[in-house]
Amino acid sequence: MKIQIRHALTTGIVSAIVLIFLVLIGFHATAADLIGSLLDFRTGAPVFGLTPLMINMLLLFTIIGIWNGARGAKCHEPDSLSKSLVGGLVAGITAGVLFGLLAYIIGLLNEMGVRITLYLASLIPASVRLFLLNLEPVQAGIFYLVFLMITGLIGALFAYSIRSTSSKRSVKDLWGDVTAPVTRQPAYRTAMASRYTKLVFYAILLIIVFLLPLRLGQYWNYTIGTVGIYVLLGLGLNIVVGLAGLLDLGYVAFFAIGAYTAALLTAPQPHNLQWGFWTVVPIGLVLAAFSGILLGIPVLRMRGDYLAIVTLGFGEIIRILSRSDMLASFSGGPRGVTNVAGPTLFGQRFNSPEAFVYLILLSCLLIIFVTNRLKNSRVGRAWIAMREDEVVAQASGINILTHKLLAFAIGAAFAGLGGVLFASRNAFTGPEDFSLMVSINVLALVIVGGMGSIPGVIAGAFVLKGLPEVLRQLDVYRVLFFGGLLVIMMIIRPEGIIPSTRRKLELKEDQEIEPDPAHPESTSVEVADNVVQSDLQGQEK
Amino acid sequence: MTPTLETRNLTKIFGGLVAVNRVNLVVPENTIASVIGPNGAGKTTFFNCITGFYTPEHGDILFYGKPVVGFSPDRVAYLGISRTYQNIRLFANMTTIENILVGQHPRLHSTWVDAIIRTPRMKNEEQAALAEANRLLRFVGLAGMGDHLARNLPYGAQRRLEVARALANKPKLLLLDEPTAGMNPHETREMMIFIRNLRDELGITILLIEHDMRVVMGISEQVTVLDYGEKIAEGTPEEIQGNARVIEAYLGRGAASGLGARAQVS
Repeated sequence: MKIQIRHALTTGIVSAIVLIFLVLIGFHATAADLIGSLLDFRTGAPVFGLTPLMINMLLLFTIIGIWNGARGAKCHEPDSLSKSLVGGLVAGITAGVLFGLLAYIIGLLNEMGVRITLYLASLIPASVRLFLLNLEPVQAGIFYLVFLMITGLIGALFAYSIRSTSSKRSVKDLWGDVTAPVTRQPAYRTAMASRYTKLVFYAILLIIVFLLPLRLGQYWNYTIGTVGIYVLLGLGLNIVVGLAGLLDLGYVAFFAIGAYTAALLTAPQPHNLQWGFWTVVPIGLVLAAFSGILLGIPVLRMRGDYLAIVTLGFGEIIRILSRSDMLASFSGGPRGVTNVAGPTLFGQRFNSPEAFVYLILLSCLLIIFVTNRLKNSRVGRAWIAMREDEVVAQASGINILTHKLLAFAIGAAFAGLGGVLFASRNAFTGPEDFSLMVSINVLALVIVGGMGSIPGVIAGAFVLKGLPEVLRQLDVYRVLFFGGLLVIMMIIRPEGIIPSTRRKLELKEDQEIEPDPAHPESTSVEVADNVVQSDLQGQEK
Repeated sequence: MTPTLETRNLTKIFGGLVAVNRVNLVVPENTIASVIGPNGAGKTTFFNCITGFYTPEHGDILFYGKPVVGFSPDRVAYLGISRTYQNIRLFANMTTIENILVGQHPRLHSTWVDAIIRTPRMKNEEQAALAEANRLLRFVGLAGMGDHLARNLPYGAQRRLEVARALANKPKLLLLDEPTAGMNPHETREMMIFIRNLRDELGITILLIEHDMRVVMGISEQVTVLDYGEKIAEGTPEEIQGNARVIEAYLGRGAASGLGARAQVS
């Protein structure tokens, strides 16, 4: 119980820090505006003194409050409703006290006539009024305290109801008497529950993602496109680094190869080939994959730091080659290549920012699908085994050579696709697009998101490429806040925002497979089982 | 009948050190054979030569009469030689089941293209592999721990998982490098029974390195003693126990003469 309350307290403090941070950078106003434009709810008569904008902002706070409560309610055994509620309440009160205090202080400063914008650039008077909900400082403080308490309780209820549908194995089961019949919920029910909720979740996410570009302006569509391209790069590098464990610092080279393939084949200068976009996509993919293999061959025997240095060199070689005067007649030199063709669809040009967002989203979905399938296959397992222990992996019968080259090739192909889209969207490509920073950024987003995890890569791309754009209003503080955020994140979640999880594969008792009569081994199972059972009982004593 | 494993004049040299020196060893099919010797005698190096980690300078290794010298470890595994390690080497961040699935790698055939398209062949193969992995999981007594990360398993369970991973390859020859290291007497006894079962029930030929003399004498039919890379004795456990050179290698010359004298008296 004590541990649980401490956990809830920590959760509350973390949530409070997140909330305070969001308000201090004025994000609540931006988000309220965004939610308003998404829900088409921006104007209207105030309800209980709350304008539509305020309701939108409270919607954001509600989500965070529920998340806070749900987090505060977990981590204890056995499950009970009252304990969950206590956890959620403690987390809610903790966050509420701190956040209410902020509201009170800001309210006081506002009353005293301090111009907060002078110190916090994005907290303009309108944002302050929005945050205070037109209330007195004390009232606002108490309002937020109660607000977070209630949302915390809702979150706790929510978490409890989800958890009680999925049965958990207790620690005792591990070493318990294996001979005793195990009573447990039918496996299909838990499977259905989790699968159903997952499906609904993904469906909602998809709908939002596909409606978003219509609502957002050019600027945000451009930003989301960039994030999407980084998701592609991240997913590719995730295979090389996250799954196969090959530290590649020259990943930008494959991005460049994809981009230059698109540029040189479609642009009127310097070769005047003017091929179509759709023919160039597969060519870019294949060329990048091929260059991945070419890089892979000499570095097959290298590991860790050495591999990183060689790949770093490779990345720089490609960049320097692309800007060299010697190759200027071939690759456009330092000035790059302009007028790269965009995609066409049924004879129509198809290159508005919105169209590109859709194209990039579709590519991301495709790559996520492919990555997911690969990850849970014989090849994916071989990659992970290689990452864990290369020597043992090889002794287990995994051909290190082909699997490393395969990882390089597939990772490079994804980057190639990203490059083609990038060059085509910008209608331009040049050597400056492919600096070392791109490699570092992609690697950072894989690590920040969670090595080997697909949702992690997506989250990482949003944090690393999307957040700086959101923070752009902060002006000079932008990089400071961003850096601080990364440091805090790595302290709170060193394994990444959404760490990779392993699939559950053990068949439960009620899914028992019939012993295969074709295998003579099946007779021996009972013999060994007896040995083991006495062994287990021995350990229990 | 061709023996499962035969080495002829096997020699491995590190710089000036002869780690394995002209070792001849014959392991007939369906036997449990042990390799013993003091620390640094070259036992693990000998194993590493057989499994392709090292390429020996001289000599031959024959697996069912076919030479395997110079094969890479994955090809050796593919032929049906599996091994475990002195210090447990699991894929720590994979689950128990996944470790076993990786062990099945050489017995599966689906490629990356199969994986993306999810061909019926691949689906069937994966299902069968998963069923097999679950069967092995129960076989080594790890039922209920299949979804735990390997690094979170208790020590004894990790040892058993290593054996399960080796068995997943459906090996004809299993090399066990100190299978009972770090185990208490009770666990050691269970492991002995388990090893004997592997041979009796699955018909796997077993070659093991062991320091615990009770294990060596209790389960092996053939014992080979290495010292400074050379084979100094070979025979049944009883023969080895009375061998003066073996006692000398383990305990020193003086002890050997004393014990040898006593052995002669009695």
